[in-house]
Parts: sequence; structure tokens; C-alpha cells
Amino acid sequence: MASALLDRRLLAITGKGGTGKSTITAALALAASRRGKKVLVCEVVANERVANLFGKPASGTEIRLLLPNLYSVHVRPREAMREYALMILKYETLYKLAFENAAARYFLSAAPSLAEIVMLGKVWWHATQEEERGKPRWDLVILDAPATGHGLTFLTVPEVFLQLVQDGPLARDMRDMQSLLGNPDTCRTCIVTLPEEMPANEAIELHKALKAHSLPQGPLFLNGCFEPRFTPQERVAVARGGPALAAAGEAADNHEARADLSSLYASVLGKSVDLPLIKIPFLFDRVFNAQAIEKVAGIIEGAL
Amino acid sequence: MSRPNLAEILDGRKVVCCVGSGGVGKTTTAAAIALQFAVDGKRVLVLTIDPARRLANSLGLESLGNRETRIDPKLFAAAGLQPKGEMWAMMLDLKLTWDELVTKQSASRAQAEDILKNRIYQTLSTAMAGSLEYMAMEKVYEVASSGRFDAVVLDTPPTSNALDFLHAADRILGVLDNNAMRIILGPMLKASKVGFRLLAVPSSLVLKTLSRFTGAEFLKDLAAFMLAFEGMFEGFKDRAARVNKLMRSPEAAFVLVTSPTPLTIQEALFFHGALKADGVPTSAVIVNRVQRDPRRLGGPDNPAALREALQLAGLKDENELAQRLGKTLTEQATLADLDRREIARLEGTLKATPLFTVPRLRKDVHDLTGLWQIDNCLFAGGE
Repeated sequence: MASALLDRRLLAITGKGGTGKSTITAALALAASRRGKKVLVCEVVANERVANLFGKPASGTEIRLLLPNLYSVHVRPREAMREYALMILKYETLYKLAFENAAARYFLSAAPSLAEIVMLGKVWWHATQEEERGKPRWDLVILDAPATGHGLTFLTVPEVFLQLVQDGPLARDMRDMQSLLGNPDTCRTCIVTLPEEMPANEAIELHKALKAHSLPQGPLFLNGCFEPRFTPQERVAVARGGPALAAAGEAADNHEARADLSSLYASVLGKSVDLPLIKIPFLFDRVFNAQAIEKVAGIIEGAL
Repeated sequence: MSRPNLAEILDGRKVVCCVGSGGVGKTTTAAAIALQFAVDGKRVLVLTIDPARRLANSLGLESLGNRETRIDPKLFAAAGLQPKGEMWAMMLDLKLTWDELVTKQSASRAQAEDILKNRIYQTLSTAMAGSLEYMAMEKVYEVASSGRFDAVVLDTPPTSNALDFLHAADRILGVLDNNAMRIILGPMLKASKVGFRLLAVPSSLVLKTLSRFTGAEFLKDLAAFMLAFEGMFEGFKDRAARVNKLMRSPEAAFVLVTSPTPLTIQEALFFHGALKADGVPTSAVIVNRVQRDPRRLGGPDNPAALREALQLAGLKDENELAQRLGKTLTEQATLADLDRREIARLEGTLKATPLFTVPRLRKDVHDLTGLWQIDNCLFAGGE
């Protein structure tokens, strides 16, 4: 099932802010590249992160190699708009006339979600780009999508746009985009969440919303899990141990409290979400770097 | 104690905005501040965007939007609290708030209906970026100026960009009303006796080019939307200006909420900078979920010494348990060190802004008892 996941053309990773979307994105990219796939990570939020996680400088709007077979790019609205408009309008002068006059710029900010449209358009273009006929340039494109609310807006942009606009080249592309995002053989959206109340609730809501919008989903990643480590008897015994064991006792109690929350939310999610659940343990690394990504990639590979 | 306390900082404020990135506990913090206000004798409303369901349920809140609901005094009694004031809560409904505002500002019923059924308006009022932020401020202003409450505590929507929050109104109004758009759409609006009339076909070159990009239908919808809104901008702008004035007055306090992870601390610093650049001082910083250092309790932390302590406690042959205890202690000491380092970084940058910490609690907070536990950390000065 995991290998099947990495055999898609496009994976979109979303979830509540702070749940570790970029970490999971980076780890999935690493796992796929190790299988010999040529992978492109597309980041669309204001601050680029994935290149840094691999200890590399930010890629910016140019595609950069991070590791063998693993590339990343930062998709920004302004550049994406220009490239995309040029693809449709063909002529630089026409582009300048329509897009680079002050009046038109105001106008474009009124078009709902135009920034999202062009950014998603750029990602879609990468995902479908062919090196030569029938041979895609990228085996897998992974989109580090915006957080929950905005993530849903982002992924449903073609649908919303098509409600407003039915004709024109943009509408045609949006239709293609929607069919790529909606095809379970080519695309999956994965939710990342934490064993805490709000992130877990949001994951459940998001799961329902993605389903309602007919967007096929991959496994749910439950990040930052604690496994039980002490039996109740052990904790009672340590608690009776007096001052010499006070610190150890508190640490054990804290640990078990978090393990309880992990198993509570794993079971809540298991009941409300009909997707495979991949648990990622909490990592105690002092610096979150390539080694930590390696660990997570290893866990995902094992789970797949 | 030289450190100012949070009660003094928030004393006399009519509006308290809890700002910060998503997932740092803004909703809980806003509810905890409101609870303290109520206990101290204020009639307070906590306005939230998307509260934790269990917190909402345990407070007896309905999920229906935009309804001010009083927290049942019996719940306070059950938590051992005797508030001198009242605590109310409301969940913000984005679409409803927009509709109410449009209805209030329209010159006629017909104008309101024209707007409410326009497709561009429907997107604007449900999906446009900044829309939620704008309406949250709008609702705060409405409640604060109504005199129904002594104070409003706002749990702001999770925004990664602080500027979105304070400038949402300007941005959206800028979209609704600007001459540039009139110039562009002008050729589609033909002046007639009763005002403007819509022309079906875009005629200018700019319009034709844009319509190749977006389709002609969209331009028609947009022109219709502008027509429908005609004459309403002044009212909207005037209101937005008053909201801005209130937010920048001493009657409003901005409380920056964060958690101690490097990423959220980075975002908090960014937020603080953006508020400052806007001339809005941060009244206080609250760091939630700080790992308490178990080493403060003393005692050994290496497995050999732990084993001895276990043996002294009458536990024999517990080598393996000692190993696990040692590992757990080290892990949590690591987390505590990391949190301390991040908080020091935050304090170093925000020198003059008072900072308060709330330790990581063992359970999710979802009732008044839990909120009161937080208040004891925030307002009583103790950990």
C-alpha cells in the first residue's frame, strides 16, 4: 500500500498548522527518491522549509537538486502568475498590457483566489510535464499544501473557479486540474495531524470535507506519538520511592499522560476516518535536520 | 515582585485580542482570560472562531453562529467558582456576519438582495482570503460599541501573516472600491438615466485580453457586483476606520500567544514585529505548553543511581526499569532545555514586553476547571 502511495503522480500534504506537514513532505520525498523515483517537492506557503530540512539553502523559484533524485521549488504567486499568463497569452506585450498596468493589478486582486489558481496551476503543470512524448519529467510531485482551512481552499480552487467561470483557457485548465486531483490512480491528498484535541478534530473535519469534494485521500499521518513505557504497578512503586525518585516519577507520569493522549486520539481517528493510519513517533532530536527526516522516512517506508 | 501581572496589564481594556499562529492554544487562552474577567466581576464575551468541540460542549455552547450564549452559572458552581460577573461566549459565523453587515449598510432591501445573491459576493463572503479576519474585527467592533459587555475577548483566526489580520478590511475594501476597477470595467457599464446598465460584451483591448484569461462571464459578474455595491463604500470605509481606531486605542490590548517550538517562536517574533510596524504594541506574550523540567525536583538522573534508589525503595532487580526511567528523564530534560532556549530567544528580542508561561498540562483543557488551572498560572503569578 505504501509503495502504491509513492507510485502516484501527485501527492498533496495538508493538515493543521504546526502538525509537521513539511517534515512528512520531506520524508515522503526522501522515501520515494530512494526507490529511484525522480521527485519534485513544491512548496506554496510564504516560508520555504523543505530545502532547509535537508541542510540546503532555500531553492527559491528555480528548481534545485537537494539530494540524488530529489528536487524542490518554491512556487510564489507573482512569478507563477506571470509564467502562467504568458503560457496562455503567448505574447509578452499583451501580458504587460493586461497584467502590468496598475489598474489591472487591482482588478486581479479582486478575482477570487487568483493567487491560488496560478500556484496550483504551476504545480499541476509540473505534475503533467513531459520530457518527451509519454515520458513524464517527474515520477512524483509532492505538494506541501497550506494548512487546513486554506489547504482546502487551495485544493478546491478548480471547483470553486468553475462555478464562476465556464469558458476561456483558464476554465479548460481548471477542468484538467480537477480531473487530475480527483483521480485516485494519479493523485492522493494526505492529512497530517497530532494526538491532541484540536488537530485531531480538524483532521476529521478535513477528511470529511475532502471526501465531500471527491478528492481521493492517502493514509493519515499521526505525528508526535508516544508509546506506553511503564505499567501502572511500576508507576505506583516509583511514586512510593521518595525524594530520590521524585524527578523520575514525574517524568514517567508525563510520559504516560502523553502516551494516553496518543492512544486516545489514534482510536478517535481510527473510528471517524476510514483511512490507514501511520503513526510517527515523537522525536527528541535537539536539532531537526536531515537525520530526523531519515528516521521519519524509515518509519514511513516500514509502514508502507 | 517587579514583574507586572497580567490582571494589571488587562485592567480596563474593552477589547482583548489573542493573536498568534495556529495550534498554539489561542482559543483556550482567550477563554481563560474571559473566565478571569468574569470571576473578577466583569460582564465579558469571548468571541471565538472555531473552538475545541469538547470545550464548547462542556460550556454548554450551541454550534449555532453569532448567538451570544451565557455560560450557565451552575457550571461555575460545579467548578468551585463564584464569579462576580458573567461569562458569555459566541461562535463567529463568517457568512452571517457579512450578510448582516451588507443588510445594515444597504440603502434599500432591493440593493441588499442584489448583493446577497451575486456570485462574486458569495465567494467573497465565504472563501476570500482575509474575509474571516475582517469580519472578526467587524463583530468585535459591533459588540464593543453596543455597550452590552464590559469587555470582549477575541480568539483570532489562525493567520500566518499578521498583516492580513490588521489590514484585512483595507484590503477587501480596496478590492470592492477602487477607481482602477471602474476604469477597467467602465466600458461594460453604460451610464443611463437610472444609473449604470450592464453591457454584455467587453469592448476595450485590456478587457478583451483579461476575458481571454478569466472568461467573459466572470467580468460580467464582477461588473454586476460593482454596480450592486454602488454607494455603499462610504459606509463600509467609515466603519472600518472606526474599527481601526478602536484597535489602536488604549481600550484594546493585543496578547500574543505562542508555544515554545522553534517554528511558532519564529512566527511569534514575526507577528510582534508586524504589529509594531503597524503602531500596535503587544501588551503581553503568553507561552503555552512549556515542558516543566523534572530535574527541578532533584534526585539522580543516571540509570545506575536510579537503580540504587529503586533498590532503597524496596524494588529489587529493577535494572531494566532504571534504564527506562533514565531514558524518560533525559528525554524530558531535553524538551525542557529546548523550551527554555526558545523562551530565552523570545525574551531577548521582546525585552520590554511582559512574558507569561503556562506549563504543558497532562490533559486537554475542556472545562472551567481546566481554564481556571490556566488562570492560576497566568494571573496568580505561580507555575
